[in-house]
Amino acid sequence: MTTSKVVLYNVLRFFVLILLQVLILNNIYLGGLINPYFYIYFILLLPYETPGGLLLVLSFLLGAGIDIFTNTLGLNISACLAMAFARPHIIRWISSGPDSLIGDSPSLKNQGLKWFLYYSISLILIHHGVLFYLETFRFTEFFTTFFRMVLSGAFTLLLVLISEYLLYPRDN
Amino acid sequence: MRNLYVFLRKHYFILVFLLLETVSLVLFFNFNEFQDTAIYNISSTLTGIINTTFRNISEYFSLRKTNQTLVEEMAKLHSRLPDAYYKSDAYSFYRNDTVYQLQYRYISAKVISNSTNKRNNFLMISKGSLQGVKNHMGVIIGNRIVGQVVSVSPHFSWIMSMLNKDSKISGKFKKNNQLVNVEWLGGNYRNGIVKEIPKHVEIRKNDTIITSGNSDIFPEGILIGTISDFTVSPDENFNYGVVQFSTDFNSLGYVEVVVDLMRKEKEDIKASFKSQ
Repeated sequence: MTTSKVVLYNVLRFFVLILLQVLILNNIYLGGLINPYFYIYFILLLPYETPGGLLLVLSFLLGAGIDIFTNTLGLNISACLAMAFARPHIIRWISSGPDSLIGDSPSLKNQGLKWFLYYSISLILIHHGVLFYLETFRFTEFFTTFFRMVLSGAFTLLLVLISEYLLYPRDN
Repeated sequence: MRNLYVFLRKHYFILVFLLLETVSLVLFFNFNEFQDTAIYNISSTLTGIINTTFRNISEYFSLRKTNQTLVEEMAKLHSRLPDAYYKSDAYSFYRNDTVYQLQYRYISAKVISNSTNKRNNFLMISKGSLQGVKNHMGVIIGNRIVGQVVSVSPHFSWIMSMLNKDSKISGKFKKNNQLVNVEWLGGNYRNGIVKEIPKHVEIRKNDTIITSGNSDIFPEGILIGTISDFTVSPDENFNYGVVQFSTDFNSLGYVEVVVDLMRKEKEDIKASFKSQ
């Protein structure tokens, strides 16, 4: 893909995911515990070659976009930044080397299920961990918060996997 | 100088991260101060417009329910029209208190965003400072509690719902006026709790909890909920009850903001006591 096409796709994805999150996913109510934060799919899918500074700035803007709608300025930004900071490290740890990365950006199709699960689960947990504990900010509710975090994380992961299969189907 | 440059170049990723993370945490913990700034007004107007547009579409899906609520409210208001309510204009209703001195005015507003699945939930409504909404006003629906205003822009207001960790409502038992505080601990949006019910108060299932009127935010007698479960522990000094909220927070369409016309007088008398 040409660079301009990659930029265009990512810009579109940025706005679509923010709107999807604040208009639809934030209204999902399942037992008072589950609230998926699917918008972080944007960070998951950024190209490997994204410069570190740009990665952080984009995550900052993404979090700010969500925060402005939910009036929690700083909350989603912090979580997204933590996730963006961890991303290059996680990629380095779970890949056997730079040559093992196929294609421009992470995808289930190119990297296989195991790699993609390691990648998305660890980043989702980092993001949700910061988000839920910062939001609650109370040690007395430690386990309730943990439970909510894991359930919401699982739901987010499910949405990520569904999109991977729907939007980028395997060839065979 | 060169070394500094090399250092910055080598560690710029972590430095940028630390800088941005600090900014975001400062924003997060000083959010209330941010709410007074001009940029907040602009951004909240923008998000308000987007939310309103989406709400205008999604409203069609709940028309039946909205109609039903409105008809019920109409019937209730009509039945009380002769003595308690009269309609002054399209937007607000007045109610006289028992000595016929006007104390409460109600501003009706549409809910344009709402949540029940967070630990701290808020609502945005379609009336703001231009319509007379101010900070710390109570918000109700019918005769049931919703929350209180925490931030106002010209056309919109931001309501801290009862479903929030910072929300602590002063209530009382309807049957014997015993004061209690009602809180929400997260989880199920239908249930709150009352801690610290004094030992001597006899609790029964379906006891009604109403607002006490002590807080200057809500008038007395607004419904909070009914006791659905309670524990009587022999060791501790207080009992503990689960309250089922009368309000269904997940299906709010229109709410009313309570304007206490005597609030200034109440605040003044407190202030004059303090300054003595």
